[in-house]
Amino acid sequence: MFRPRFLLTGLALVLGACSPQDPQAQTSAALAEQVLLPAYSRWADADRALSSSAIAFCSGQEDLEKARAAFFTAQKAWAELQPLLIGPLAENNTAWQVQFYPDKKNLVARQVEQLLKTNSQIDKSTLDKASVVVQGLTAYEYILFDSNIELANAEQKARYCPLLMAIGEHQQTLAQTILAKWKETDGMLAQLSKFPNQRYADAQEAIADLLRVQVTALDSLKKKLGVPLGRQSKGIPQPFQAEAWRSESSLLSIAASLAGAQALWNGVEGRGLRTLLPSEQKPLAERIDSAYADSKARLDELQQQSLQYWLAEPTGIAKLNAFYDSLNTVHRLHESELAKALGIQLGFNANDGD
Amino acid sequence: MPFSSLLHGLRRLGRWTLGPGQNEPLLLSARDDVEGRHYAVGYRLDGSQVFMTPVPQRCHAIVTHPVEPLAVFVARRPGTQSYLIDLRSGRLVQTLDSPRYRHFYGHGVFHGTGEWFYATENDTSDPGRGLLSCYRFDGSQLVREGELSTHGLGPHEVVWMPDGETFVIANGGIRTEAESRVEMNLDAMEPSLVLMHRNGELISKEILDLQMNSIRHLAIAEDGTVLACQQYMGGSLDPAALLGIKRPGQAFEAFPVAEAQRQAMAQYTASVAVHSTLRLVALTAPRGNRFFIWDLDSGGLRLDAPLPDCAGVGAVEDGFVVTSGQGRCRHYDCRQEKIAMRPLELPAGLWDNHLLLHA
Repeated sequence: MFRPRFLLTGLALVLGACSPQDPQAQTSAALAEQVLLPAYSRWADADRALSSSAIAFCSGQEDLEKARAAFFTAQKAWAELQPLLIGPLAENNTAWQVQFYPDKKNLVARQVEQLLKTNSQIDKSTLDKASVVVQGLTAYEYILFDSNIELANAEQKARYCPLLMAIGEHQQTLAQTILAKWKETDGMLAQLSKFPNQRYADAQEAIADLLRVQVTALDSLKKKLGVPLGRQSKGIPQPFQAEAWRSESSLLSIAASLAGAQALWNGVEGRGLRTLLPSEQKPLAERIDSAYADSKARLDELQQQSLQYWLAEPTGIAKLNAFYDSLNTVHRLHESELAKALGIQLGFNANDGD
Repeated sequence: MPFSSLLHGLRRLGRWTLGPGQNEPLLLSARDDVEGRHYAVGYRLDGSQVFMTPVPQRCHAIVTHPVEPLAVFVARRPGTQSYLIDLRSGRLVQTLDSPRYRHFYGHGVFHGTGEWFYATENDTSDPGRGLLSCYRFDGSQLVREGELSTHGLGPHEVVWMPDGETFVIANGGIRTEAESRVEMNLDAMEPSLVLMHRNGELISKEILDLQMNSIRHLAIAEDGTVLACQQYMGGSLDPAALLGIKRPGQAFEAFPVAEAQRQAMAQYTASVAVHSTLRLVALTAPRGNRFFIWDLDSGGLRLDAPLPDCAGVGAVEDGFVVTSGQGRCRHYDCRQEKIAMRPLELPAGLWDNHLLLHA
């Protein structure tokens, strides 16, 4: 016996999977256009400014304070991008060129000094061939902030400046190359907007990929806080294992990454992952909202001082641990409950292969 | 519109098939459901399910009997049960329980006569000591009759050379204890690629440069070329060769993978497959979320594609089929210079790292 009603429903489903009415395709496209692409553009802008700043600082047209401000902007733009690390920048370990972290063995300081010892004339082409350890923001930060480097001394400034300018240029070129790959025909923006394509068989895969990078970044945030807090070293704080410890901008970076993760959740004008939850999942959506709010409130208070300040005394450590727990709640809600509610399997073999 | 036309349209539109596609090869794999329950599954490539048999322990690789419509779904380490399944119905014919101080490592082979089944195992009384258990097929059941040494630690995949009498064994080199996946000897790993006669006699034992480079999975071309893929247990920046090749009569060496692809693997590979007719080698790297195809002879890169949590890979007539732990399964038609990808109408995600395509 034929069941025309069932068939029509089936047909609608098949057609629906390809049409713009598909909520997953809509959300993916909206996030790509309104959240991801703008964040990549801000990063490219910040790196362009970083490169100009290095040149201005080295030619004496800009003071150290301004040079450091340009670094903070670039570091923040990069941190915000980490939960959005999907596509070209996430591939071929390209992201290592942006920042070398964690740096357990202080490789950045050692390799920068080694490079300067063996190359008196460093430019972008020398740097392009050098290790990722010296190509990125961590090396840039080392030059501008390390206590052993005295940039007020003209001789020292002349020694480090060629590398500073080369890193600025390397970052600018890298960011522009990546941004171009987002915008090109059939590039990343298109691949998140029209399905199927060579990357995604359907919109569900794109949403899964977005959730995957968001969850990975939330997990990394826990490590970025947990390692200096000593959660992996018997409770003994490790302040020099923090991200961006030299510039004391660890909390600034964490705040930017958390904001990036929340942007995927909320979207612009409510067109984020949150909108994909069916109405019966409203309680879960509200729990995720309040988990972000709780985490952010704790971080706002912590940001009145540096991470190093809080690590130095027991009340500070207690506050950091409470913040860690709030981040853990955000992470777990995404990793388990949100993934399940959206029907997404995260890293079945990648995390537990054989 | 007549019903048949609508049906035909639907079929073409979504590649849905309402009846079993008997001409398609049978894709065999271990798979989970979202609740974490384990299954031995068989699907035609058109998406029709032949069976989905619940099994207590998670399985890894599948070994088909050369004559009977049977396959062993081998327990993933440190599993202690493998399952003999009837491929026509999915009926569980027999559960193989490991004896005391033994567990499976996820792989095995049937001898060409169908009389013997061999599986890699761990001797947990001397953790990591590699064994090949020998089971005799008595016409309906597998009976454990003995063991051979794999001449190495922590064996993983075992395959036949084309002669069907010489084992190729990937000894992963890692010691693990019973009921554990935790590595005990990262500072003293001993990975090796072993060629061994069916009577257990060692023919050759080779290693790659890096001691922490665990040789895990294998594929053999019809000409006897051995491909091995590795998982590197050391630092994320170390230059570990994750694909190795042993051409007939030559030493085991790194396959010429360019730095961009090597780095993209994130020190971890899952499955390797060879297409003997098209002379291609395919590799999945689930941590890097990349799928690769190279020309077997020239080493030239044919494909470097994103594929989230890509898992099992196997050769079909015109190319390769790949499963994923996270996304849709894909078919890659490799007959033309430009490789064409097509998503398959199989269930998405939760596929284990290996598949077998049974014609």
